[in-house]
Amino acid sequence: MMELDNSSVMTVSNSGSGEGSVSSSSQLQLPAPPPQPPPPNPVVKKKRNLPGTPDPEAEVIALSPKTLMATNRFVCEICNKGFQRDQNLQLHRRGHNLPWKLRQRTGKEPRKRVYVCPEPSCVHHDPLRALGDLTGIKKHFCRKHGEKKWKCDKCSKKYAVQSDWKAHSKVCGTREYRCDCGTLFSRRDSFITHRAFCDALAEESAKKGPGAPTSDPKPPAEEEKATATEEATAAEEATEAAVETAPAAVAAAPLPPQQVDPLELQEPAEPTKLPQYMPPPSASLANTSGVTCSSSSSSSNTSLFASLFASTTSTAAAHSTASFSDLMSVMGHADRPLTEPPSLCLATNGGPASLFSPQAQSHDRRPFAPPPPSPHMSATALLQKAAQMGAAATGSSFLKGFGLDASSGQQENIQDDGLQWGHHRGQQRQLEPEQAPMLSAGLGLGLPYEPDLMMGSSSLFGSKPATLDFLGLGMGPVGGTANGGLSALMTSVSGGGGGGGGLNLGSGTAAAGWEATERKPSSPAIR
Amino acid sequence: MRAELRSSTPGHISVPDPNPFDTPHGSLSGALKGCLGSLDGACIEKLLLHCATAVEANDATLVQQVMWVLNNIASAHGDPNQRLTSWFLRALVTRASQFCPTAVPSATTVLARARPMTATELVGYVDLTPWHRFGFTASNGAILKMVQGRRKVHVLDFSIYYCTQWPTLIDALSERPEGPPLLRITMPSARPPVPPYLNVSTEEIGLKLANFAKSRDVALEFHVVKATSACSGDALSGHSNFLQELASCLLDPSSLGLREGEALVVNCQSWLRYLPEGSGTAMDDLSSRDAFMELIHRLNPCLVTVTDEDADLDSARLSSRIMSCFNYLWIPFDALETFLPKDNPQRLAYETDIGQKIENIIGFEGEERTERLESGARFSQRMTRAGFESFPFDEETVGEVKLLVDEHASAWGMKREEDTLVLTWKGHNSVFTAAWVPSGYDE
Repeated sequence: MMELDNSSVMTVSNSGSGEGSVSSSSQLQLPAPPPQPPPPNPVVKKKRNLPGTPDPEAEVIALSPKTLMATNRFVCEICNKGFQRDQNLQLHRRGHNLPWKLRQRTGKEPRKRVYVCPEPSCVHHDPLRALGDLTGIKKHFCRKHGEKKWKCDKCSKKYAVQSDWKAHSKVCGTREYRCDCGTLFSRRDSFITHRAFCDALAEESAKKGPGAPTSDPKPPAEEEKATATEEATAAEEATEAAVETAPAAVAAAPLPPQQVDPLELQEPAEPTKLPQYMPPPSASLANTSGVTCSSSSSSSNTSLFASLFASTTSTAAAHSTASFSDLMSVMGHADRPLTEPPSLCLATNGGPASLFSPQAQSHDRRPFAPPPPSPHMSATALLQKAAQMGAAATGSSFLKGFGLDASSGQQENIQDDGLQWGHHRGQQRQLEPEQAPMLSAGLGLGLPYEPDLMMGSSSLFGSKPATLDFLGLGMGPVGGTANGGLSALMTSVSGGGGGGGGLNLGSGTAAAGWEATERKPSSPAIR
Repeated sequence: MRAELRSSTPGHISVPDPNPFDTPHGSLSGALKGCLGSLDGACIEKLLLHCATAVEANDATLVQQVMWVLNNIASAHGDPNQRLTSWFLRALVTRASQFCPTAVPSATTVLARARPMTATELVGYVDLTPWHRFGFTASNGAILKMVQGRRKVHVLDFSIYYCTQWPTLIDALSERPEGPPLLRITMPSARPPVPPYLNVSTEEIGLKLANFAKSRDVALEFHVVKATSACSGDALSGHSNFLQELASCLLDPSSLGLREGEALVVNCQSWLRYLPEGSGTAMDDLSSRDAFMELIHRLNPCLVTVTDEDADLDSARLSSRIMSCFNYLWIPFDALETFLPKDNPQRLAYETDIGQKIENIIGFEGEERTERLESGARFSQRMTRAGFESFPFDEETVGEVKLLVDEHASAWGMKREEDTLVLTWKGHNSVFTAAWVPSGYDE
């Protein structure tokens, strides 16, 4: 292997000799990846062109992050030295003319090189999924793992596109508007709007008592009005009228008789308390994540769902009340026919956390899932498996695949929901004597960023009586076309075929019963 | 368009593994995630449509299957495609729980609501992208032009954005060469029950506005119009309440407090979409948008400014709506992705509000489906039918709008469609704004 000056390169030979020979330059920044066993041959051969299915004979090269991020766009294929200009690269390449006899001595053609990603969690870190060209791995790394956000030095605003960042940098700090509250704005209209609604302005006018110097000298009448307005504010806030009256345009404060500018603030007799504006404080404060019973019981009526949409009060309360436990309790009380099929057991995390709950790591790293192995399934195959698994697996083991466990889920519910849950569970028990309890699943639609948002984040609640398996397959028809629908879906989704097995943009065959509405052809990016 | 949202490794579904079940169960979902995560918009759209079809056909099995697949794509913290998918999936679950209850019991669904914002948060919200301020700037420019020389100006504000439009108008009026007019801003207390949500009352907003106006030496009267008749409250949905209240205050113009000699301006910002289409003639259904326009016309305003989103999201067919929603709402998701990190709270809040819109458009029907957006072209036709002619924006206003757009990411653009201005993202229409005067307006 060649020693190199500028780049940190480490090469690992996996020609099948069984021993790894590792050489590293002094600038090496990576630990040596362990020598890899030769990848399995049979599946790969057909798919040579796909990224991540390298030639088993190829030499696997692991470049350092620094090398990959380097802006030397012109890189020597032989030694990986980078150059800013193509001419320099060409000059350099001439130096790689190996004498004929040296080549013969190695006894083989220069091996194809494939490149792995240095990021350990990345799927391309695995030599089996190495990328075949240097440019590709550089691009991949920069986009996926590199600092792809351009950050403004002055204001720390981030941009994904360099030109946007440049455009911003020109403007940033050049025209700065500063609100008394300390916020800075680069645009005047944002500044003006903010200032109008910022509390700092209100405080400032309060300070402008009589005699306070201002930039615009005001007639005394206005200053009195200023005080009057403040009094009005206080009075208005203290007032609470129960009934809304006819359009009330009541001047809230007496105005001085000599008015130069009729500055009048007309206020209604009482503040409007629309639920959107002021949700009951208890509702918004009472909630932590997941599944706690909400204190607001207004929505626990028979038509919970309707009420969630219907009255605005409930809408506000829905911040807090939309917990799955409440929903389940409604279920229990509503005397629903208990032969409903199991609800959708969609993939969720184990425990109350859901797919939609905050993830500290990227979406590839679910807590219950190991770092992605090599997913080799086409979407068609996936749907097939979905169908088969539904039929083949017992409920609980399938669900375990999603990190769900029937019993653990229920236990959590019991702790949280006490009486209501117990009631429901009792019902459920009666109906599932022999079958593994199926877990009804909300989608775990917790909203991640707001801890006091009450979302039914857990999907482990309330087993529905499981007269049917998870996907409703293989156990008698539930609403019609069991496999017919699925195959139609697969056909449509898999599109027109061609290319590696997988989803294409092909127009696709129309699915059964789906009238293909006119679709625009996929057009190139418009900028 | 959808090309924008494709993953950077196109067509990236790899070799079918003959024995997927060799992978341990625990990794299956992870595998799916990895595999499906790179699906592009076209595929997701297909899946969504399939789900809709299945719901319409009451095919519980297929519904569950497709949702299962979708759920493996969806992620509220993923890339724009995944985020969109997550909201669409929620909406579909909502729908399925109503219309195909065997597939998804209604208790499963949970509605998404972002928490109410403070006033300053709201200001930041509307300034995240030019989406809202585009209309503000254009409308205010038209208003300024129209009320030149007028001493009294009365703005009737129909907007869901709590007067965030007005500080800049007040500011501009304060700098008029002839001095500011006496400004009145009146708005109905009725507001559709849609986001964004504010945690203070309209009156408080009015107070702040008045304070600000005072600081700019502009006389401002702020007035909130209550319904003339007490609404029955609980029996009606929030939206019906809204429609009733609105109709009642328009039917009784005296409640608006109009005065002689004032230049009346009507501002409709993201508002008309919440009025039902109506049937028959305009006045058959008093809450319809045609009736609204007719009533507005009768007030003899000197100007009507209309801003709304430029898409048709009101088709009677669910599948059409899904498609048009997906092909339109990718825009704000894409825009936010370009400059805000994945977990940014403002971004998530904004996306949640869009999610609520999606939920309404896809999850509901009839009266509950309150979002009935129609495109600028259709609105324009409606205005013409209602007896208005277009009032072109002057060059100064257009210049200001252009400046605004240019100060944001380079993908934002602006174009003119006759007298309408349209905000574009990567060339796609997002928001339209136009101004109108009643035909034969008499001063």
